[in-house]
Amino acid sequence: MENLYNIEMLDKRIKELKKIAEEIKESGGQIEAVKRNINRILASIKMLEINICDLTEV
Amino acid sequence: MAHHNIYWNPLTETLPREKLMSLQLKKFKRIFEWAYNNSPFYRRLYKEAGIEPGDIKSFDDIRRVPKIDKGMLREVQSRPPFPYGDILAVPIEDVVVFRQTSGTTGTPVYQADTWQDWEWWAECWAYILYAQGYRDTDRVFLPFGYNIFVAFWACHYAAEKLGCEVVPGGVLDTEARILKMQELKCTAFGATPTYVLGMADTARKMGIDPKTIGIKKITCAGEPGASIPSTKKRIEDAWGARVYDHIGATEIGAWSYMCTFETRGLHVNEAFFLVEIEDIDTGEIIETPGKNGKMVITAFDRIGKPCIRFDSKDVIRWADYTCECGRTFRMIDGGVVGRADDITKVKGVLLAPTAIEEVVRDIQELSDEYEVIVTKKGDIDDIMLKVEIRPGCEGDKEAILARLKDQLRVKTNLGYRIEVHPYGSLPRYEVKAKRFKDLRKHG
Repeated sequence: MENLYNIEMLDKRIKELKKIAEEIKESGGQIEAVKRNINRILASIKMLEINICDLTEV
Repeated sequence: MAHHNIYWNPLTETLPREKLMSLQLKKFKRIFEWAYNNSPFYRRLYKEAGIEPGDIKSFDDIRRVPKIDKGMLREVQSRPPFPYGDILAVPIEDVVVFRQTSGTTGTPVYQADTWQDWEWWAECWAYILYAQGYRDTDRVFLPFGYNIFVAFWACHYAAEKLGCEVVPGGVLDTEARILKMQELKCTAFGATPTYVLGMADTARKMGIDPKTIGIKKITCAGEPGASIPSTKKRIEDAWGARVYDHIGATEIGAWSYMCTFETRGLHVNEAFFLVEIEDIDTGEIIETPGKNGKMVITAFDRIGKPCIRFDSKDVIRWADYTCECGRTFRMIDGGVVGRADDITKVKGVLLAPTAIEEVVRDIQELSDEYEVIVTKKGDIDDIMLKVEIRPGCEGDKEAILARLKDQLRVKTNLGYRIEVHPYGSLPRYEVKAKRFKDLRKHG
């Protein structure tokens, strides 16, 4: 099943997604509406990490 | 050959065993380090045991990590920050939701979850529901009192995540819930096995055959009933639906589930949890299928109030069969088969209350309700079983009771005093039932 997917590529894109979310928090986090919504997005990204990224290097 | 579309995440669920174990070790190290660095309770515990994050290199090292239990979780609540205690591994401001245990076994344990933890709860349940065939075409009814108990809250959010249409059946009585399920043509619902049977009973009293409502699948939780074949059959017969079990706990998460392929046992979500089974007497780790032991469990990704090597007192055993679904997650046979603090000696014989339920529910002329009361008369244990005979079957009372006594003797090696109560007179439960009462402990 692993061979059907490019896990490395998915991992890379999820990391990019997280970086963008963190950058938005960094630059707009003083706005409560930005900070709280980004926190939720980061929690969702964490679910992608535990479903995909954690599988790299095992 | 398994089909790709039966998995919520084919990558984790079909990961080869060797890689799965490597993943577990990696994740155990991570949560251990997290707890050591962020939770004063865990740091104290591990420092006293002389274990640091760098010491965890193998599964043998994991076995050296001190266990925690419910008593410790209760005790730590007396420390700040209120009300969770210093087991908390995040600033209290990061806690977004409070839950508590039901208190069935004593003072409730308070559970703190961050938003990430709550996403994780829903993710655990997404694995469960997807494996049980829930899809975005389902309309899912949840007949539970949306309150301080975690119950089906995470099921609700997971069903939404899957794209199902969720109907929250909170503050409705049983009759109103049945009518709403019927009106909306719901296709699935989740509840405790006791309540699922109770709903069927109520529906019949309303003149509605539960089978006509259109429910295709039912997910049970909170009690072992859906893993007890005779209870599972009763529910399936009553509703004309497939019934699946799942196991979870407030302090742990939702860690195990039946899939549509094999319902003798449940898969352990080993990508999210480490389940160890310990010999109740020696503490040795049991890898052999079929041998009962006590579960010690770790949730890898729960950060607010981590759950690391929690001695749950649940008695489980590894299955000696595999599932054709293709999941590489190991299975436990028959769900939680008892509680280490529940399996009790009566007249010198070890008795698990689930064995009594299996017998009672296998006799169709008996109602779904029963009660077991153990007392002491002088030095001798006395065990009484209260049952109800279904309307229309009273004429066969003597034969029914003879079968009941025989089966109880065969399955539990004990003799019982049996009391027959009028149909409908034994207590009915909406949440966890308390049918086994050991009064010897109270003098």
